[in-house]
Amino acid sequence: MAGETPIRATKLSAADQSAALRSGMDTLLEVRNLVRTFGALRAVDDCSFTVARGSITGLIGPNGAGKSTAANVITGFLETTTGQILFDGYNIANQAPHRIALRGLTRTFQITRELERMTVTENLLAAPHHQLGESFWLGLLPLPAVRRQEDENLQHALKLLRDFDLYALRDEYAGNLSGGQRRLLELARVVMTRPKLLLLDEPFAGINPVLATRLGDYIEALCREQGITFLIIEHNLALVERHCQAVIVMALGKTIAEGTMSELRENPAVVDAYLGEG
Amino acid sequence: MPTIVFYILTLATFAAIYGVLALGLNVQWGYAGILNFMYIAFVAVGGYVTSLLMLPPAQPALLGESYVLGLNWPFIPALIVGGLAAALLAFIVGLLSLKRLRSDYFAIVTVAVALVLWTIAGNDTALVNGWDGISAIPQPFFNALNLDYNSYGFFFLGLCIVILIIVYIFSERLYRSPFGRALRTVREDELVAQGLGKNVFSLRLKAFVIGAFIAGIGGALLVMSVGAFNPSAWTTGETFFIWAALLLGGSANNRGALLGALLVPVLFSEATRFLPSVSSSPQLIDALRYIAIGILIILTVAFRPQGLLAERRFKVRRSKLLAPELAAAGGGTGIHVEDEVIAAEHSNLVSPDSSAGEDREEEASDGR
Repeated sequence: MAGETPIRATKLSAADQSAALRSGMDTLLEVRNLVRTFGALRAVDDCSFTVARGSITGLIGPNGAGKSTAANVITGFLETTTGQILFDGYNIANQAPHRIALRGLTRTFQITRELERMTVTENLLAAPHHQLGESFWLGLLPLPAVRRQEDENLQHALKLLRDFDLYALRDEYAGNLSGGQRRLLELARVVMTRPKLLLLDEPFAGINPVLATRLGDYIEALCREQGITFLIIEHNLALVERHCQAVIVMALGKTIAEGTMSELRENPAVVDAYLGEG
Repeated sequence: MPTIVFYILTLATFAAIYGVLALGLNVQWGYAGILNFMYIAFVAVGGYVTSLLMLPPAQPALLGESYVLGLNWPFIPALIVGGLAAALLAFIVGLLSLKRLRSDYFAIVTVAVALVLWTIAGNDTALVNGWDGISAIPQPFFNALNLDYNSYGFFFLGLCIVILIIVYIFSERLYRSPFGRALRTVREDELVAQGLGKNVFSLRLKAFVIGAFIAGIGGALLVMSVGAFNPSAWTTGETFFIWAALLLGGSANNRGALLGALLVPVLFSEATRFLPSVSSSPQLIDALRYIAIGILIILTVAFRPQGLLAERRFKVRRSKLLAPELAAAGGGTGIHVEDEVIAAEHSNLVSPDSSAGEDREEEASDGR
């Protein structure tokens, strides 16, 4: 599928969309004409793109292109000025962030955010959606159903910690972890929510090359084995090329191209706006 | 009764009541991270409502007092309604302000609401008898027990301790429940909590209301213990006695809250009431108490922010750990990683034993 995705102009017309559907592409996330303004500044300015289900899609662009703002709008942390965000059949534009998360669209942050005074295990246990015991009354009562769910979540959490190489640190406060370990913990935490789409904002920033390789392998394994779709904002183009089948390029708040990395290298608009810089 | 026994009885009663109050604030601040500077107003509402329900109808002509209600209710229903009244106030304040305002701005709102309520209570004499306040408040079960005044003191202490134990068990269960964990998630990072699908506003509102209910219960006991209540007993400064107790004892740790309640309001503030007063400046002792409380809060936050008893650390029970062969496997169902990469990264791992020294490690239950 990746090789077939054509480079498209900014606007995704209805015709394009139906063509994409006919070609067998199953769209999980579709952003249509998204605009987000801050006063006179149009941080995201008529941005449109799609993310195919089961893909690892990259989102690249120069600093200030509006990538993080787009991520914040898509996940509900910022309000949409105009435009539509279709996720798995629902328009999630302007929904509360927790409602979007409950639909299966979860994010990580550019700067890792841990629940510092909670242990590594608790960071994961806090994550699952629809926990019975998170209701005040059910949490107080010693119900077998609550306990069973807690046990299941704990086992799931411990296995994830083992897979992410954090098992030995399970009782450590998250605030005591190193930068790289925080990245892993943050990823494990969002995986714990069993998401459909993970939006990772610069997951490779500030971590050493060995760990970056491992993180990339984790992401591919999660995509392959658990069917999680990824949308990854990243500046390291080598990593983007290695892991992402499809890449979206933003500049000045607009999507200027979509395609594979090798296709984008041939695209004069992309080279002009971004690749040519460095 | 010897003076010393009476003295200890009084202090123990205050310690138990302030224990209840510190536990309520702990739910709001220690669990959910809500900055509430109107805590004493919830205490007052609980105290007033419980008292007004238990008092006989006001007789302005005869006694010169005027207040609303006066329904001759028995203690237990009056206590519960008093707690609910405080919870209702928290619900209204929280509904209006918790969603939109950041925690520091919310704190300003709470100060303002407390001052408004305080001014109304003082100036509207028809409501709770104004600045003079209400007095001759019926003591719980006093008539039924038919005890002499001294023995009743011990009974009242017992009553306070029973309620303290109930509130403590409730708070502990709350802390260990997944609900408590969700509150702490909100405390640690609102954005992360939202990203994990938690309704932050609803969780904070619940914590605010639960804490206020406990404050109302404690307030009722506080008023009963004195038998009278007026606005000078719940100035904004009183809120910070409870804050000082919680911060010094250890927020997010219920035992810490109890320790703080024993140390701060009792030994620190109540005990100074027995110091000789300086006739030339009768306000001196009171002023000194406030100064001392302020200094105590500053020193605690600066040098031991976790308090005397830090929040307990959750440790996965040995019986719940993965089986050794499962724990050793590099991912049976999950993600596969090449062994040499793991080996390379292991040098970066922090040993689990070399954590920062502040933890009190305890075998916490796994969420239950």
